[in-house]
Amino acid sequence: MIIKTILIFLIGLLGYSEWLLGTSFLQRPIVLGPLVGLVMGDMQAGIIMGATLELAMIGAVSIGAYNPPDLISGTILGVSLAISSGAGADAALTLGIPIATVMLAVDTALGQPIMLFFIHRCDKHAETGNIKAFNRSMFIAGYAQSIFGIICIPLAFYFGSSAVEKLLGVIPEFVQTGMDITAALLPALGFAMLAQTMMNKKVAPFFFIGFFLVAYLKISTTGVAIFSILMVLMLIMFGVIGKQKGEAIVAAEEDGGDFDEF
Amino acid sequence: MNFSVHSNYEKKITKGDLKKVFWRSIPFEHSWNYERMGNVGYTYAMYPVLKKLYPDKDDLAQAMKRHLTLYNVTPYICTFPLGISAAMEEANTMEEEFDTESIGAVKSALMGPLSGIGDAFFWGTLRVIATGIGCSLAMKGNILGPLLFLLIFNVPHYFLRYFGTFLGYKLGSESITKIMASGLMDSVMEAASIVGMMVVGAMTMDMTAINFVTKIGSGEEATTLQDLLTDIVPGLPVLGLFGLVYWMLKKKMNPLLIMLVMLVFGIVGAFFGFLG
Repeated sequence: MIIKTILIFLIGLLGYSEWLLGTSFLQRPIVLGPLVGLVMGDMQAGIIMGATLELAMIGAVSIGAYNPPDLISGTILGVSLAISSGAGADAALTLGIPIATVMLAVDTALGQPIMLFFIHRCDKHAETGNIKAFNRSMFIAGYAQSIFGIICIPLAFYFGSSAVEKLLGVIPEFVQTGMDITAALLPALGFAMLAQTMMNKKVAPFFFIGFFLVAYLKISTTGVAIFSILMVLMLIMFGVIGKQKGEAIVAAEEDGGDFDEF
Repeated sequence: MNFSVHSNYEKKITKGDLKKVFWRSIPFEHSWNYERMGNVGYTYAMYPVLKKLYPDKDDLAQAMKRHLTLYNVTPYICTFPLGISAAMEEANTMEEEFDTESIGAVKSALMGPLSGIGDAFFWGTLRVIATGIGCSLAMKGNILGPLLFLLIFNVPHYFLRYFGTFLGYKLGSESITKIMASGLMDSVMEAASIVGMMVVGAMTMDMTAINFVTKIGSGEEATTLQDLLTDIVPGLPVLGLFGLVYWMLKKKMNPLLIMLVMLVFGIVGAFFGFLG
């Protein structure tokens, strides 16, 4: 159990290193799920639970001012506790989503102010030219924000397992079925949020083309992606996109010409 | 268009310096904060260039301070404005009358359009495709799912991040102002949005599920509400759900609140047995 807790702590640390490692999506449930599964001795379950959480949380990316739930704590605790109590993917959802939501609140309320303290230290170090201290403050700042998650994940895992087993026992059947139904509904929220950032009158019809291609013809997402790229190429060829571009470039070049005469 | 302004590394900044900028751009979002967002990350990445250009300690401190102002961009293409800033800082050390304020001005002007393209391409399109392919495999318990997810996203990501550095530097500030004025940025954004929208539409239908199991009619002719709806137009229930959520977001409802509403709806639906 101690070894497992340490490994869980390391997975948490990896998750919170996401932004240090290039925002490469290492923190997504689809990646963390299998790692947790491996530690818990059931990788297969980890992969499936990770994918289930991934789909439910597909909209959980920081778009605009929206800050998504903390997927790292949600995935690690949801998957590990679900596996240790012998429950299925629906239990990972039932546990993971509330944990992720609570952790977001903790990070925003407590983690961010600590982080800002170190960000202000960076200003000071830049002024005095102390680059080593600048780098150090930057490094600490990033982890300061997630410090509660880093600490809470192994603790909750160590002390929570038995409690969760009892908890899952008393949760009525329909609540877990309800969580399953909700998980299938949630992607709509994610896609609606994505669509909203891109939506304007010019591109709105393309949403429906994609939607009904799948609804009527059951084409896979990859297929739609290929068709959409080809379609965009066609639109460029026929000059629908970038029509104003050609004229403007000429104008810009003329500008440049004028510049040279000076 | 004249791209030759900075195309040869005959000035102070070498290709190696720019490579350093690329490597140091990787933790760009590590210190992302609500106050000035990517300011520290940007300065951290700029450091090798600044250090070379400003041997004097005071000048260096000034330059760093200049980049510690608010900055935000999709992290995957942050090297592009970094490259431009590098070219401008270099120009600053070579031209007597260079206005340092223009460095910040060009940076800020790029923030909106670059994030627009970056968000539409990386978050709207590439991630959604990676998730779609990854999840369809992972749902069957296949380890290739998570691996492909990471590869599909990160190969283009690091490719663009790497070359963005050099592209930004080569374009410099002059050409970028021309490109912005030419509307090329808008066209790229439109193209990325079209692909993004189609994929999002496809994924909405593919990944979302709602099933009204209420029985209609009796005996032989009994059918569910779901069948009735999908007989009219396939995907109608999902489209209705999507429309409702979209409307809620438009009414400025908090996404977390919408999530809660869905949760209650799902559980109530399971309790009364009209959803399955």
